[in-house]
Amino acid sequence: MANHLNDNELIRQLSNKDKNALYAIYDKYSGALYGVILRMCRNEAAAQDLLQETFIKIWQKIDSYDSTKGKFYTWAYRIAKNTTLNALRKPELLIQSEDLSVHTNKTEEEILPDYTELSGAIKKLEPHHQEAISLVYFRGYTHREAYIEMGVPLGTFKSYIRQALNLLRDSYKNELIVFWFCIEILA
Amino acid sequence: MVLYRNFGMMDRKKILDEGLLEKYLLDELNTSDRSLVEHAIKNDKEVKKKFSELEEDFEKMAFENAIIPPSTVKAELKTKLEETKVRQLSYRPLLVAASISILFLASSIWMYTEWQKTQKEFEVLQNQTTDLKERLNSLEENYVLTNTRLKTIDGENIIPLLLKGNELSPNSRAIAYINHEKKIVVVNSEGLPKLPEDKTYQMWSDVNGEMIDMGVLKTSEKLITLKYIDKAESLNITIEPEGGNDHPTVENLISYVTL
Repeated sequence: MANHLNDNELIRQLSNKDKNALYAIYDKYSGALYGVILRMCRNEAAAQDLLQETFIKIWQKIDSYDSTKGKFYTWAYRIAKNTTLNALRKPELLIQSEDLSVHTNKTEEEILPDYTELSGAIKKLEPHHQEAISLVYFRGYTHREAYIEMGVPLGTFKSYIRQALNLLRDSYKNELIVFWFCIEILA
Repeated sequence: MVLYRNFGMMDRKKILDEGLLEKYLLDELNTSDRSLVEHAIKNDKEVKKKFSELEEDFEKMAFENAIIPPSTVKAELKTKLEETKVRQLSYRPLLVAASISILFLASSIWMYTEWQKTQKEFEVLQNQTTDLKERLNSLEENYVLTNTRLKTIDGENIIPLLLKGNELSPNSRAIAYINHEKKIVVVNSEGLPKLPEDKTYQMWSDVNGEMIDMGVLKTSEKLITLKYIDKAESLNITIEPEGGNDHPTVENLISYVTL
């Protein structure tokens, strides 16, 4: 809750064009957003440029953020995703990344697992649940693209997502209970 | 409130069953579905709760999978933000200067065209003034001329004499105005018939039986000033060869009047 209030305060300062507020927001969210951007474009140099572009857009567009419509991270995630998708649609970047994947096949094999491998609660899910969530949340696929990518019917894909989200919910709830339990014991 | 009542179970079921919240979170919805979901989040507690949970899980998952970017990205972001500020600062006076010079240019062009217009109008006016001056001058001259003519034929000491044509030229009429005091003779020869080009009318004064030349009468002029001859007893008009004669051709006498 304190964290949430802190966010609101930072966003208020950001609206007043306080650069330090942007740097504080960067410190908090850049890792999460970079994780998404890098998994989407799989090119470190391009991902770093896109991360920077994302934060410049956050700086410029902060007035259009409406907290009643959702959390700040959701809003920032959409900017990062759309910025990356737009860049991937540009042919020069596609060619570049294709070239890179051909030339640096060896290094890619070393680095790629780092890009795509997921950790945390999602790691505990079944592989098909992991893949479904990974495609839409981390790889920038729409539902319609993702079910084709997975090679399952749309209905099946939707239920994968549903099941995965429910399992994640249970996992985080249990974490919270364990957390409270620890706090209680410590107290 | 009305909108909230209109939002029914069907909408909630559609949003939850079709996974619209997930799609909304991922920005995959069309405009109408998006506004339906946004309305539901604002007005339906159950939908709001579901979406908050989804957002929380989504954010937690993102943080669990965060990759720390190299510090160069933040440094570059800082440079870029400072740069735009510096640029803004340095561009502003340039923009102001540019707009001022555009304004100045526009007003200069406008003033130049106005000046050109005025110049032309001034030239027209000047021409008109010159024209008017000329007309005034000629009117003045005409007036002076008419006035002097009037003075010569209209006054206390002026005697007008009518010279009627004889049987040789019965339609001839001429009027002589004589001022003995100023010794002036003026003749209006308008009433004399036109002559062939090699002939002219000439006037003579009779002094003791001798005819003395007074001058040639042109039919084209209204008032002709002739020589005043002292002690003239009569005025006579003859037809003579072009340029006038030294002695009158008595057979060609067409009119005379005694004084």
